[in-house]
Amino acid sequence: MATDVRTLPLARPAPRGILWSLFLTLPILIWSLLMMVFRPGASAEPLSRISGVITALFMTALFFMMMRTHNTYRWRRIFFVSLGILFPIGFIHNLYVMRGSMGIPIEEMIAGRTPFCFMPIPLLILPAALTRTLVFPGSIAGGIAAMVGIWLALTLVMGKGWCSYACFFGGIEEGVAAIPARARIRKLDSRWRYLPWAVLLAMVLLSLALFEPAYCMWLCPFKAVSEYVAARSTIGLIQNVIFVLLFAGLVIALPFLTKKRTQCAWFCPFGAFQSIFNKISIFEVKIDKDHCKPCLLCQNACPNLSLSKESVARGETLLSCMKCGACVDVCPRQAIVWHIKGTQIAWKPERARLMFLYSAWALAVMFGGTIIAQGIATILHVFV
Amino acid sequence: MAALVVFGEALALGLASGPACIAACGPVLVPTLLTGRAGFRANTGYLSAFLAARLLGYLLFAVVAWELGLLASLLPTPRLLMMGAVYVLLAVVLLCYSFAAHRMCAQPCAESKLVQITDNKTRGLAAAAALGLLTGLNLCPPFVVAGIRAAQTGSLAAAMLFFAAFFIGTSIWFIPFLSLGCIVRNQAVLTVARMAMALIALYYLSMGIAMLLGKKAYGY
Repeated sequence: MATDVRTLPLARPAPRGILWSLFLTLPILIWSLLMMVFRPGASAEPLSRISGVITALFMTALFFMMMRTHNTYRWRRIFFVSLGILFPIGFIHNLYVMRGSMGIPIEEMIAGRTPFCFMPIPLLILPAALTRTLVFPGSIAGGIAAMVGIWLALTLVMGKGWCSYACFFGGIEEGVAAIPARARIRKLDSRWRYLPWAVLLAMVLLSLALFEPAYCMWLCPFKAVSEYVAARSTIGLIQNVIFVLLFAGLVIALPFLTKKRTQCAWFCPFGAFQSIFNKISIFEVKIDKDHCKPCLLCQNACPNLSLSKESVARGETLLSCMKCGACVDVCPRQAIVWHIKGTQIAWKPERARLMFLYSAWALAVMFGGTIIAQGIATILHVFV
Repeated sequence: MAALVVFGEALALGLASGPACIAACGPVLVPTLLTGRAGFRANTGYLSAFLAARLLGYLLFAVVAWELGLLASLLPTPRLLMMGAVYVLLAVVLLCYSFAAHRMCAQPCAESKLVQITDNKTRGLAAAAALGLLTGLNLCPPFVVAGIRAAQTGSLAAAMLFFAAFFIGTSIWFIPFLSLGCIVRNQAVLTVARMAMALIALYYLSMGIAMLLGKKAYGY
């Protein structure tokens, strides 16, 4: 039973001083400028320069607020929602410029020019291992190697933090979930948490059987806001209807009704795959059982349903924790802390938070920041 | 001597086609094995029933292939209809199995953390046999190659021998599936396997219906 926050002692730390917060933000400012403005090979076009500067300042300002307020989730969410909105803007605009449509024709697929996102990564492993074949109509040099490299680097550091700091799809539903003041649907069956694993298992096996990335062909809701197979047959039309329905249901309607990231929590096979890497990431979120009531405010706040009564009692999050910081920020007793594996739970949690945020934010600037800059450049290009 | 050559050729073809065979059978076999009991012996029993029924499917196909002379003479439309029917049946069996696994679990799972499916052993083996037979009739590319080669043999017995040897060659690749017996069967594993089974069934069902309606899957 959830307890009212007002009955619990509030022990939120006072805001950091402005100068000290600025000092802590300085490395991110330098990194952002290096990545967004002074990067070798960056476009010299004025609009690209302007979008780079805006992005660098935006990312730095958010990090500053994280430092000043001790709050992670709220400021990360602004970045993440911006990423979720600006990715389709830049990507779709690019598709229209390149080929005049969001539908990818079969000729492009045969030529290996399909853009590669991270979603099919788990689907490629078994066919590659068994038959040395890449079951994706893209080219290794033309994007697959780069995406896999970025994913690997970010994953080794953040584990499933990828889903909170790098995924360019999750921001859409996180934004939708933030709109209503209260959840209309509160009672959620915990068994749905297993569905992403089932989708992962089914899609890995079907991808091996069909020699195609089955999830991309049939179930990816984000095809509705990126590229999809051009519908030149009844089956193609059905595939596109599935994409739109899943997007409308899992990314728009359910997040609005539940205030949760339902697509991530109940469907995304990549998220399930990513959960495994939480085992090797050194950063995690822990619950100090000595301080925990438990009021279960954290369970209500978690956007990914990664906390249960049992896991709180055990002093840990579930494997699916995305390290978004919502539970840490909401805990009135500061019993939930950022933690580095191998150290004691109560050992300098703010230092653990800083270490995680520096690495996560640096990578977010490098990967997500570039996408945000592209989106801003597109808007400037269209409207200015 | 000729029989030995045919046997050797079929065995080699089966061994070479193994990855394609496990790829084709994996979506059916993995979730169903995961909903069964844990342990090497239980999985061996299930896999044996599956493979025996698959052999039966192969031999049935050998008879048909030899009778038709050449599998290639089977026109695309009836072939599509046959595939469609097999897919729909496969989907129905998988869906039934998914729900049956739930019922089997209902009593023992209620209080215990571990899933103990101790009853309805025969029902599990019957499902394994049905799935083995249906996947045996699945027209995957190596299977079609074997069918064409078997049809070129001199007699029905030779065709059946060819398929039996092909079966032995492919079956060796199924041995790693026994390792799934080592995975602890708890509520999470059982639920994931059942959900995956239902998803795979839905895929086969939709593809089967599309084939029966004469639609190509990727007719761009």
